[in-house]
Parts: sequence; structure tokens; C-alpha cells
Amino acid sequence: MDAAEVEFLAEKEIVEIIPNFSLDKIYLIGGDLGPFNPGLPVEVPVWLALNLKQRHKCRIIPPEWMDTEKLEEIREQERKLDTFTPIPSPYYMELTKLLLNHAADNIPKADDIRTLVKDIWDTRMAKLRLSADSFISQQEAHAQLDNLTLMEINTTRSFLLNSLNYMYKLRKNLQPTRTHDY
Amino acid sequence: MDTQSYMPVPPGIGMEENYFSLDDILLSHERLPCKTECSFPRLGFLEKSSDTRDIPEGSKMEMPLWLAKGLYEKKRRVLSVELPKVYRGGWRTVFGADPTVVDLHKMGPYYYGLGSQMLHFDSPENPEIAQIVLQTFIGRFRRTMDSSQNAYNEDTSALVERLDCLERSLFKAGQSGLNGFQQWEKGRSSHLTASSLVINYRKRKITDLQA
Repeated sequence: MDAAEVEFLAEKEIVEIIPNFSLDKIYLIGGDLGPFNPGLPVEVPVWLALNLKQRHKCRIIPPEWMDTEKLEEIREQERKLDTFTPIPSPYYMELTKLLLNHAADNIPKADDIRTLVKDIWDTRMAKLRLSADSFISQQEAHAQLDNLTLMEINTTRSFLLNSLNYMYKLRKNLQPTRTHDY
Repeated sequence: MDTQSYMPVPPGIGMEENYFSLDDILLSHERLPCKTECSFPRLGFLEKSSDTRDIPEGSKMEMPLWLAKGLYEKKRRVLSVELPKVYRGGWRTVFGADPTVVDLHKMGPYYYGLGSQMLHFDSPENPEIAQIVLQTFIGRFRRTMDSSQNAYNEDTSALVERLDCLERSLFKAGQSGLNGFQQWEKGRSSHLTASSLVINYRKRKITDLQA
């Protein structure tokens, strides 16, 4: 899976906007998108929000977790614990990148948020590598990692799967072989 | 996007080899020291050192793996294969002590593959060979993971130098994951670029032809 595909899946998340146009309710296959009235907040998926923003038809309201104090709290907790902390959105990395690239003017303290999210990402990736290493060195057959997001899994997927495959096959060598009867 | 029209067949690690895998084909060219248990009549021309008409019993030769595997038989009438020195007791203790310092590329670029294939030849040390190959892999895993996940946009030849072929493919997988993520973060993943074929071919435009 590409990073671009993960971003595509992330665009389905819901975010609030304030439109400056009016439109009746529209009925799409994926669901209905409520009537748009100028000045009234309405919830839409991210792909629509970004499109409207690029055409200067709305103002995006940052999700409530995209706030410096909340992110600092999450970062401190992430650094203290050895396991993964639950994070407010399963697509935090993608949403940060998309919203900060297109709607930075609607988000207060955008640069700080970018730095904080990057710190959280780095801490989580380091923990992921540590647990992958202990997984392999103790030759466990089964591991459970809670609260991982798709982007993190996607970055290490090919490496971890291939090395586990190789390890499995090398372990199969240890067992006594069948005799070949030709 | 990772659309490939050519999906390479991966090597079959462990005691099986994949017939179509390029890595396995190259692996089976590795030479092993062997001793013949019976004489090979009228094949003396293959043995350059002696001028006899047939290869006598008990002569030591080096054979590639594919030939040794084909000729080897359990009742040992034809061939007996010696272990290459990398899999013998002395080197096994070296690998057991610290697997990360060894230059596995120099020890035969297919250390893991060849080690697994040696298990076909029923040597009494088979369990130890299998164990040491596994332990070496586990010991070197951490270093491979760290170097592949942290080397972005730099020359990786120094890092890859001491890795065996299997570890190199793992390194490449790790690098591709890292590079994909970094490209995406920079926003370059949906960047359209002209294909190198078009640029190099320098297509003549219709306007140039008419002028």
C-alpha cells in the first residue's frame, strides 16, 4: 500500500466547515451532506472540505484535538509509557498534513502543531521498531500492538513481513526433515 | 505507484529452492568441496590436474551446488560433500559470539541460502548449522532494521557492504517504505513527471516537421 492510498482513506474523515454559499441537501451514494447555509457550521468529509477551501468557498474549523495543549499532553504521555497511547484520531498524520498544507490560515499556531505531531510520530515509530526488534529476538509467534495507526503500520509493513517470513523458514530448518522417497 | 509489470520470484529460503528465482539460480552456482566415493569412468578430461582417463575414487573436487545436489544420494555411493569452512565449528563460535561484526558478503554472498541448502547433505552437524544460521539472522536483524529505516537520501553503499543477499533485499524493502513515506510527506507522491523514455527519445513535434 502506498502512503498516497492511506491518505485517500484518511480523506473520508469528517471535519467541520463554515461555508459562504448556500445549497440544498445533496444526496450522495456514501451518505447525505446536509444543507449548506452561509455562516452556519456543517460537517463534511475532508475531501469535500479541501475542495471547497481551494475554491475559496468555505473556512475549515480545526478538529478539537488539533490544539497545542492537547498535543503537548499526548506527546508527554507518549514519552512516558512504553506502550502506544490511544490518539484522538486514527489518521492524525494525514489530517495534519492535509489541513496544514491547504488551510493553515484557519488553524492557530500551525507551525507548533506541525512540530508536535512530528514529535509524536517519531516517538511512536521508535517504539514500533523497539517492539519489532524484541519480537524477533525472542522469536515470539504472536504479538499484539494496540492503538497503532494505518500510516505507521504501512511504513514498516514490507520490512517486518519479509523478515518474519525469513525467520519462519529458517526456523523450519530446525525441524527434522522428511525423507525423500523417489 | 508501485505498478510493476515484472514481479520477481522471491528466493525460497529454507530447504526448498524456487525454480524460477534468480537469487536461487545464482545461489546454486556456489562451489562446494566434495570427494568422490566411486570412480567416474571416462570423465578424466574434466579434472585438469591429472591426466588419467577416468576420475578415480576419493579424488577431491569442487562442484557447484546444483551438481552436488543432483549427484548426492543417501546411500552415499557417489559423492560426499564437506562443509565449507564458514559453517564449521570454528566459525560457528564466531557467529555465536557476535554476529554483527562479520562481513557476511565476503563469507559467500548467500550465507543463509547456502546454509539452508547444506542441510540436504545429511551431515551429523545439521542441527547446529540450522541453529547458527537462525541465530545469526536474529542477531543481525536489529542493525539491518536501524540502518534501513534511518538512512534517507544518503549513500547507502557503506551500510549494505557487509550484508548478505537476503539481508540486502530486506534492506531494500525497509528503504522503500521509508522513501515512500518521505515522498508523501513532501507532497511529491502525486507529482507527475515526464517519462525518461520520452525525454531521451526526443520526439519530433509536428510543427518542426512542417516548418
